[in-house]
Amino acid sequence: MLIIGCGNRQRGDDAAGLIVAERLRDGGIPTQTCSGEATEVMELWRDHDDVIIIDAVTTASRIGTLHIWDPEGLPKNCQVSASTHGLGIAEAVELSRTLGQLPARLRVYGIEGREFGVSSEISPDVMRAIEIAVGRIESEIRSRA
Amino acid sequence: MSGRGGRTIKVDTLARVEGEGALYIKMAGDRVADVKLKIYEPPRMFEAFLRGRHFSEAPDITARICGICPIAYQMSAVHAIERALAIKIDPAVRLLRRLFYCGEWIESHALHVYMLHAPDFLGYQDVIEMAKDHRAAVEKALRLKKIGNRIVHLLGGREIHPISACVGGFYKVPSRKQVQELVSDLEWALEASLETVRWTSTLEFPPFEQEYEFVALQHPDEYPLNEGRLVSSHGLNIDAAEYEDRFVEVHVKHSNALHSVMRGKGSYFVGPLARFNLNFGRLPEIAQKAAIEAGLRPPVKNLFRSIVVRAVELVFACAEALRVIGEYEAPAAAHVDVANRAGVGQAITEAPRGILYHRYAVDENGLIVAAKIVPPTSQNQRRIEDDLREYAGHLAAWPIEEATWKCEQAVRCYDPCISCATHFLKVRIDRQ
Repeated sequence: MLIIGCGNRQRGDDAAGLIVAERLRDGGIPTQTCSGEATEVMELWRDHDDVIIIDAVTTASRIGTLHIWDPEGLPKNCQVSASTHGLGIAEAVELSRTLGQLPARLRVYGIEGREFGVSSEISPDVMRAIEIAVGRIESEIRSRA
Repeated sequence: MSGRGGRTIKVDTLARVEGEGALYIKMAGDRVADVKLKIYEPPRMFEAFLRGRHFSEAPDITARICGICPIAYQMSAVHAIERALAIKIDPAVRLLRRLFYCGEWIESHALHVYMLHAPDFLGYQDVIEMAKDHRAAVEKALRLKKIGNRIVHLLGGREIHPISACVGGFYKVPSRKQVQELVSDLEWALEASLETVRWTSTLEFPPFEQEYEFVALQHPDEYPLNEGRLVSSHGLNIDAAEYEDRFVEVHVKHSNALHSVMRGKGSYFVGPLARFNLNFGRLPEIAQKAAIEAGLRPPVKNLFRSIVVRAVELVFACAEALRVIGEYEAPAAAHVDVANRAGVGQAITEAPRGILYHRYAVDENGLIVAAKIVPPTSQNQRRIEDDLREYAGHLAAWPIEEATWKCEQAVRCYDPCISCATHFLKVRIDRQ
């Protein structure tokens, strides 16, 4: 399984995906990290069948909400990846699908964020969601072992 | 549209620019009443964040301003600080920095030409729609970008927010063998870039030309990346140290970002079109030939042809990377030792989307006491407004959706990296 954490450490809640990846790595689970830019994500998951990707998102949900979507369930109107890119994970999913490069099994863990200003702090609610996401992914991996 | 009632064109989100903000155009009949490029985030956070930090941290901190052009930020930072500290770098390090920058240009230009801008010209909502009919073009873009990533990865340690460039050189340099492993990919990329020039030259370009003052670096015998004097199509010729004597950032009420203007003049144009027009003779022969065959001869004043010029710069970046690799021998030391001392230094380098100015003042302990960063998008913002003021008038009779789309296409000619200037960008046009 490939696990990718996305985000920008300098922009508050946008670091959520990176922190999840680091926590998992600290627990001995290999992970990759990246900014969340679409082509970079596509390069990482190309030729992988089973992928979890974690990123900060903004939808109409309460801050700290942990969303888990499969590609079909990814909402059209949310901004997955609050990082400063025109093309993010939602576009990576759609473009990969068009090019026949979408991993057979893909789950997007979206952590609802609010503070994305330069050098802002991560919100406490987002920190709690990070811990929940880490636990969920660890359980999933254990259940397969 | 004379005699017709006013109307509103509104685009809340300008997609396919790096970031998010808002462009607002108000029209009264066929007259453009107002144009405002709005930016939402205080743009000077990083300058404040740098104060009190050691100069050695500046390249890594500033690299995090933008996920698309982190090397530009690193390069302007290291050059400005090296100037402040009167450091001379090894010629082999200088070459490596050119290679590093070529990697970023390849990544950025491939992304913009194919995935952000081409959909406008071909009538698609976005690259996802475009990929259904132009799969080969999108796959070419992805492979080109990956090759740029390989260069950046080799020299930077990781693709986004590279960490290996430092004041005085690099923390670590690659061996000759390692850089030569890039050659076969770059040879493919050069060919793909030539195809990109041909492909973009067949697109349809709205007949919109303006009398721009183009501003770019100029080096005696190289197409500019890391160094040179700052010149313009209207006679400017200055050192980076004189930049703030000739350019000033002004605060505008409708935007958090500062607009950079030429003192006593106004807007100016930075980026590929400016570099091309001011440095055509310094392009390698293969890029000059490709440009001429594509119908480009300086001065190119049609904003929309910037997509072809960007493709020509892709040819340059691949050819230059191959040239550098051919000459490269690893330096004896990855970097020179740098001692703390007080000083002030300025540098300008050519980010993919235009000149990026940095100034640092450091104290005797090496701590930054002042920092100033003027990103390319801040420099083009006033120019974007001026263009839209003119161009929106040409579109007065168009249906609102199409006019909006054309205006967005015009803005994207500048490849605005709003994340450099601020965080997110949105666009809106009102007709009354």
